[in-house]
Amino acid sequence: MKHARRNSAPLALLVVALFLIALPSATQAGDFFPQQVAPILQQKCLSCHSGDQPQGDFSLQSVAQALADGYIEPGDAAASHLVELISPIDGIAAMPKNADPLTPAELAVIRKWIDDGADWPADFQLQAARVSDFAWWSYQPLILPAVPQSADPWAKTAIDQFILEKLDEQGLQPSPAADRRTLIRRVTYDLTGLPPTPEEVATFNNDSDPLAYEKLVDRLLASDQYGERWARHWLDVVKYADTCGYDKDKLRPNAWPYRDYVIRAFNDDKPYARFVQEQIAGDVLFPGSPDGVLGLGFLAAGPWDFIGHVEVSEAKIDGKVARNLDRDDMVSNAINSFCSVTVQCARCHNHKFDPITQENYYGLQSIFAAVDRADRPYGADPQIERVKSRLEEKRAAQKSELAKLQKQIESDGGPHFEKLGESIRQLQADAKVSKAPEYGYHSAITRTAATTKWVEVDLGQPTNIDKIVLRPCHDDYAGIGAGFGFPVRFQVQIAANPDQWTTVVNQTKTDYPNPGLNPLEIPEIAAPVRFIRLTATRLGERKNDYMLALAEMQAFDGAGNNVALGRKVTSGDSIEAPVRWSRNNLTDGKWAQDHDPKRSIELAKLISERAAMATPENNAQRNRLQESLVAIEREIAALPQSRMVYAAATDFPTQGNFKPTAATPRPIYLLHRGDVQTPRQEVSPGLLPLGENADWHLDAALSEGERRAALARWLTDQQHPLVWRSIVNRIWQHHFGEGIVATPNDFGRMGAKPTHPELLDWLACEFRDGGQSFKKLHRLIVTSNVYQQSSQHDAAQAAIDDGNQYLWRMNRRRLEAEEIRDSILSVSGSLNFTMGGPGFYLFALEKTAHSPHYEYHKFDPADPASHRRSIYRFIVRSQPDPWMTTLDCADSSQSTPRRNETLTSLQALSLLNNPFNLVMAQRFAARLENEQADLPDQIDRAMLLTTGRAPSDSQRAEMVAYAQDHQLVNFCRLMFNLSEFVFVD
Amino acid sequence: MIDRRNFLAQGGAGLGSLALAMMLHEDSQAQTGGSIQVLHHPPRAKRVVQLFMSGAASHVDLWDHKPMLQKHHGEKSDFGEHVEAFQNGLGPWMKSPFAFSPYGESGKMLSEVVAPLGACVDDMAFIHNMIGKTGVHSQATYLQATGFDRPGFPGMGSWISYGLGSANDNLPTFVVLPDHRGFASNGPKNWGSAFLPASSQGTAIFPQRDNPIEDLSARSNYVTESGDKAGLELLARLNEQHRAQRPGDSRLEARIRSYELAAKMQRSAPAALDITAEPQHILKMYGLDRPGATYPSEINRAEEAEYFGRKCLIARRLLERGVRFVQIWSGNDNGFPRRNWDSHEDIERDHGPLAHGMAVGTAALIQDLKQRGLLEDTIVLWTTEFGRMPSTQGSKGRDHNPYVFTNWLCGGGIRGGISYGPSDQWGYKPLDRDSPTQVYDVHATILHLLGIDHRQLTVRNEGIDRRLTDVHGHVLEKLLA
Repeated sequence: MKHARRNSAPLALLVVALFLIALPSATQAGDFFPQQVAPILQQKCLSCHSGDQPQGDFSLQSVAQALADGYIEPGDAAASHLVELISPIDGIAAMPKNADPLTPAELAVIRKWIDDGADWPADFQLQAARVSDFAWWSYQPLILPAVPQSADPWAKTAIDQFILEKLDEQGLQPSPAADRRTLIRRVTYDLTGLPPTPEEVATFNNDSDPLAYEKLVDRLLASDQYGERWARHWLDVVKYADTCGYDKDKLRPNAWPYRDYVIRAFNDDKPYARFVQEQIAGDVLFPGSPDGVLGLGFLAAGPWDFIGHVEVSEAKIDGKVARNLDRDDMVSNAINSFCSVTVQCARCHNHKFDPITQENYYGLQSIFAAVDRADRPYGADPQIERVKSRLEEKRAAQKSELAKLQKQIESDGGPHFEKLGESIRQLQADAKVSKAPEYGYHSAITRTAATTKWVEVDLGQPTNIDKIVLRPCHDDYAGIGAGFGFPVRFQVQIAANPDQWTTVVNQTKTDYPNPGLNPLEIPEIAAPVRFIRLTATRLGERKNDYMLALAEMQAFDGAGNNVALGRKVTSGDSIEAPVRWSRNNLTDGKWAQDHDPKRSIELAKLISERAAMATPENNAQRNRLQESLVAIEREIAALPQSRMVYAAATDFPTQGNFKPTAATPRPIYLLHRGDVQTPRQEVSPGLLPLGENADWHLDAALSEGERRAALARWLTDQQHPLVWRSIVNRIWQHHFGEGIVATPNDFGRMGAKPTHPELLDWLACEFRDGGQSFKKLHRLIVTSNVYQQSSQHDAAQAAIDDGNQYLWRMNRRRLEAEEIRDSILSVSGSLNFTMGGPGFYLFALEKTAHSPHYEYHKFDPADPASHRRSIYRFIVRSQPDPWMTTLDCADSSQSTPRRNETLTSLQALSLLNNPFNLVMAQRFAARLENEQADLPDQIDRAMLLTTGRAPSDSQRAEMVAYAQDHQLVNFCRLMFNLSEFVFVD
Repeated sequence: MIDRRNFLAQGGAGLGSLALAMMLHEDSQAQTGGSIQVLHHPPRAKRVVQLFMSGAASHVDLWDHKPMLQKHHGEKSDFGEHVEAFQNGLGPWMKSPFAFSPYGESGKMLSEVVAPLGACVDDMAFIHNMIGKTGVHSQATYLQATGFDRPGFPGMGSWISYGLGSANDNLPTFVVLPDHRGFASNGPKNWGSAFLPASSQGTAIFPQRDNPIEDLSARSNYVTESGDKAGLELLARLNEQHRAQRPGDSRLEARIRSYELAAKMQRSAPAALDITAEPQHILKMYGLDRPGATYPSEINRAEEAEYFGRKCLIARRLLERGVRFVQIWSGNDNGFPRRNWDSHEDIERDHGPLAHGMAVGTAALIQDLKQRGLLEDTIVLWTTEFGRMPSTQGSKGRDHNPYVFTNWLCGGGIRGGISYGPSDQWGYKPLDRDSPTQVYDVHATILHLLGIDHRQLTVRNEGIDRRLTDVHGHVLEKLLA
């Protein structure tokens, strides 16, 4: 039976290699320990009870250590404490801790060994269990196999030859070729994910050119829809989504450029090595190329825990856990996707089945030790990038000159200057600030100080005002405290009518010293005012970034009433994070106060005194430098904005505890049992060993980028035994529904073995050495006779190979979720072929400020913005689209190398009743009525569009009768439910 | 019948068989539809209700009475060691704002806000020494819901559905009643099927929506009952003709049957969710005796009782009809104003109404199941992602405490009236730090009661034989009746 045959290696055959220091003696009694006892100790005990710091100070590595503590009484198992510890009572044993107890058979072995005297050869040392055996098919060198030379005319391609050889061995024959209608439907869905139009079917049916099929294949491969279909397969593997997942499941508005990059890579037939390299280290290997940054969306595609990164510091356990899991996702994404190796199994212990140690695993984590996930710019115009980097150099020079000048001023000021500074610090520390939880208004954060931000109060009607008062914020963030976010340069304007501004304060030419908590009072307004606007032209610094914040804006009338209280506030932008930050807080009558007003006045005096200590020359020089800095920053800000992609990044604005590493790798430790609280030795970067003597260490001194570059080069090495096999197997699987290796993410001992190892190697070599072109590989496969077989059943052949692992016929398949949705759009005439750009929503988006709500049931599927191909939909990780999920769409929480194919009653309900289906049935009916006048013709057209064939006479009669009784639209709804529509032969 | 484990190891090879297996899975009356052909041992229970308090419900304010906190209220807290707080909740010791009293023959001390459960304590078994791994909501919620602290793993209900199959032919096997105000951390991923077949995923039901089950009925002016009836007949004929031309593919047969099952579900589900015919005394029991009541915008007890009570009553109706696993959520995401158990600011404000509402509904559910003879083979599990600190955050709130919290179990095969595994005098960590209880143990115990050895229900995924309890888990023998 197929399943038994294709099962992966039976566990009994898995010999976990003993890491032996000395050979066991040859006597039979002497064999008992190494052969029977040692494997149990290695597997169950040594991961804790070995090394420099064994748990409980008890080591089982050597006989001396094992017997030292008296846990073992040689000759008397019953009296041995060890046996007591490992014997379960009610299914629970003290040891192994937090793991399944030993089986009765294993216990019996240990007891017998102790009863027989606990004989342990003195020079026989144990190490934690570890597989060091590379004698497995996927690690063998990749060598081009000879193509079988059958004379059978059916075997027209090399693929046919390999398949036919196995069929012959099994006593099977290939099936007849599929008819043309079946073939065009099959290959069109396969290569583009869409149905062929009736016109395309007719053209192909009537094409007498002997190369008609090859022409068809070339047309499909050249279409934009090809990349849209095949990119989806890759995005399934890499866990792509447009939100972060975990708690809050926040939006990733810049994830889509990576999705578009993948589509483009397929359509442009990017050579695979380049595709791999760009996704691991494109920024290092191809500097200046937008694709080099876009590809890095790969490393950031998976889930990311907002709370664990932003709200919890990296110094805390929870922060460490979040970052460890984050790197784990990067490592497994890279190694599962490109090598088909389940490296993540070695996070807590050495891999139990494949030759991967914990050190190998953490060596890979070390490659990504400096990397986080964040938005990063990807090449605007290179010309602009050059201008920008020149300006940035200039800015850095000016800044350092300014810093030098500041130092000069300080040293000129001597001890008095220093004393002033000390007094200022003291006063600030003494301040007893009381503040309501409502801090004030807070603009969005920017990266340049010279950014314009404004906030405005509308008094409702022109009102006579005497005085305007601006009150600064207080926030301990980054140790700033008083004056948090108060602008450095700004103007205040008033207007009685919209857009008739009068400037009442102009502080745009020189810097305004931080006011602390002292209000800025603007007296003698004496004019009717309706609008008051504060425009900052140079922002206050937060922490390597800038923003505008203000606690309160007041406007007092002649009677001393604050008429701004509770008035409406507008602004260019705002961080709405109530209670603390909100526009409304600007007129809520609450601001931070120091209970001792004298202290504030004293503080302000000292600050201005200190400012006045500089010589006029130095002051002038400082002003000049500041002016020029502002000018440079304006120039930078005026450059076209770089586009952003959510990708692997080491430089981005700090958000809470989520801070960029600036490319300095974090130290990576081997974590005992994968626990951040039990770190062992620091691990330097490394690759996976591919053979017993392979040198997998990388230089510990490699920079962040060089580490990733080394991984990228290793992954694209011509001699790599895994990479080329892995990718051709994925491609083959998507064409046939089943890979040559049935476990596409696992080529290890727990995975399946190849059914056609020579064919796999031939394809891998052909692909690797023939330009690494996906399109060429597709063409090879779909023009083979194997692919063009009928999918019809044959009882005699099924009796030999029921599961069709030898491909004596083609596999029939159910369409995938995206194909069904796109087909419904297509046949109903609604499909919009626009490519690329931000994902469209299939939900109403609510409450984005905190935890966004994705309300699918509130979405109107008639919205034309959503009538694009499904690959462009905005994918919500934690709350995926229910309709798509019911149809077995990929779950972006995990790598999905192949889709499940289920048939459930919920699926039936979705296809019958989902609002999308209901709206599309109406579109479909309208299209039919538009294209054909009579009902029978409309029915024929509907069948041709959905299945590629006309109905039989009896079917037509039944369908016409139904449409007459229950409207064409209800008939259209049924058409989306035909098995013939959702299955491809 | 093929071995499903091997079968899934192949990633779904032999799709015809898979389709058929799925149908069996949906269609079985007995225990033949699941992956487990013969139960590992005689079961004590057939059904499970999981009550999940999202945001982290405080053990010391509900179930775990701490006289020491009363005695030392307001004194500087001293844990005897460095404590890593999630935020800054290491203020003075704080007694519960709620009074505790003894209930039942066991004399269990309960907080006044869960007083309605006093009538049930002799059927309940408390576990006071639960420990988690993290104070981060999302990871901790994943851990309690799926046994793993990261995404990509099936929920407990999915494992049980997968293992045991369905016990009805017209309703989903695993039903989830989310808090209608919003999802908890991780949203539907807490009940997703991950690498198990889609048929084992939780089906979310929103009783207050027009379509309580997604797409149960068509909302369109052109859809008619007679049109649907004739349409399904025509569809069945067309699909049958298609199937007949393609012998040897059981999926095509399975697909035809899926439409028959869908029709059955369309008829049965609305009835299962319709509580209008419930007698007045039952409605009152569940806090549903104020139809059309309006509520203030502040969180309040009557409103919370109505929300949670409605879910509990629907749960009972689903369990009666053969739904195997019902998961009820209390508490939404961390939006404003707070409607979950994450009481950093004010325990009394949030825990008071939420706990009262939960207790009214839960007590009614337990008593109602009992009077119908269903409690003896239905397990009720009350859980949350972690506990809260015995010290103060701000002046009235409590910070996260992943170091100890409480679960309780009730019903099928559970020994009632016991409190297992005490926490320390403050409710900060387990009294015996070396033998705490973990989620694996609770999951192992529930599987055990259902007749499943937790070590034997496995599925190969990405090179590992995965199970609900990972490589851990001990059956809590002391909790078994």
